[in-house]
Amino acid sequence: MNTTFKEENKDFVMYFEGRLDTAAAPKVEQDVAPLNDCTGHDIILDCTKLEYISSSGLRIFLAILKNAKPKGSHVYIRGMNDDLRQVFAMTGFTNLFEFK
Amino acid sequence: MSNLSPHSEMLLSEFRELRPLLGQLSEGVYALLFSVLKEQNIELNAIEYRVKTEQSLKGKLERKGDKYQSLDNITDLVGLRIVTFYSDDVDKVAAIVKNLFDVDWQNSVDKRKLHQLTSFGYNSLHYVCRLKEGQRVVDCTKETATIPFEIQMRTALQHAWSAIEHDIGYKGSVKLPPEFRRQFSRLAGMLELADDEFSRLRNTMTEYRRQVETLVKSGQLRDVSLSTDSFNSYLNLHPFERLNQRIAAVNQAEIYPVSLMTFLPLLESFGMETLDDVQQFIDNYSDDAYQLALSQLAVTDLDILSESVGLLNLCLVYVLKHNGGIDGLCHVYDTINGKHPSNEMLAAAVLEQAQSLLLNNQK
Repeated sequence: MNTTFKEENKDFVMYFEGRLDTAAAPKVEQDVAPLNDCTGHDIILDCTKLEYISSSGLRIFLAILKNAKPKGSHVYIRGMNDDLRQVFAMTGFTNLFEFK
Repeated sequence: MSNLSPHSEMLLSEFRELRPLLGQLSEGVYALLFSVLKEQNIELNAIEYRVKTEQSLKGKLERKGDKYQSLDNITDLVGLRIVTFYSDDVDKVAAIVKNLFDVDWQNSVDKRKLHQLTSFGYNSLHYVCRLKEGQRVVDCTKETATIPFEIQMRTALQHAWSAIEHDIGYKGSVKLPPEFRRQFSRLAGMLELADDEFSRLRNTMTEYRRQVETLVKSGQLRDVSLSTDSFNSYLNLHPFERLNQRIAAVNQAEIYPVSLMTFLPLLESFGMETLDDVQQFIDNYSDDAYQLALSQLAVTDLDILSESVGLLNLCLVYVLKHNGGIDGLCHVYDTINGKHPSNEMLAAAVLEQAQSLLLNNQK
């Protein structure tokens, strides 16, 4: 599981690649730390190359959202494949995020 | 070159020395008012404070410097403004201010009472205050105790009136022709009426909410129309909790709290008119909603679910049972999640699952 952080046009973009499962979650949790200081920036979680997300991954996404909202930042999910969308739909989390 | 008299120059020089203390006082009084008003749950449009600028004081002294024997006679060196949404709250704020500080009644003005019965104009309440004897305000030294400060209290509409009046220069040196004054008067009257109506509307809404809460608590759901307020009260009873817990038990999942208000337009689109309709919807479709959720979640190890999971599956089942087909299921996702090309894929997946559960067309 790889992550890459970039700042693109004032947006904080986090690229996810591979399987975000329980084993990968602790490292990813550290990798997404730069998103904490998001005041004045929107966040894009780029899932174009994300193959799988587990509950631990969902919790990381929810924590990013919980941190960003009070700061007025939007959290967008970009490029999510159909399997991942189904995970978000069946758990009821789709409408918490904005999808690009 | 300064146009000030020697006496006014002396006052200005005293002001410069006093400025740091005035800054302390304005910040301390602001902090105290802010916390007390917050504690009292009074919704404010704005609360602001300032120390008079040297330029502004100079202007005042140029105009009427001889009137002031000492700086103590100038009561607005420190000014605070509290802008409420409702006219009722101006009185409430005034009572709190009266309680917190010593009010100098001789110099305080209730402009709301100054108008003739037949005239309209700027309404605002100005209290000139001092700290109470022995009162200590955060960051204030005891030298600030005798310095007066002015608190203006008004509604947002009164504030708008005042700002526009200032901008147009209604009180300027050029006397306005009667037809313009009449236009101002009419507008002021309209704003006063609007202020009263907003207050009245708030009271009516509060009463309505209380009645709805009582009906919901007593279980008289048939008498309660489905609306934002009533649905909100109904949600306080956690009507979907049982179904959510049943679904969560599939994977021993935790329930993540979310707002369910986004489902209201969907329930209305199903033709539900009362809370009783919603209750029947839960009673009639919970078993099937559980089966549908089970069929999706049992093959996963997802152990975190949104609080909306029960209601979402109820809506999906309702559509399936009313022959809504793929379009109906798409409508559910479009309403809850917003339109997105993948909603059709989600709808198709649910339809396929439902066929295996024999949910289709069986009301």
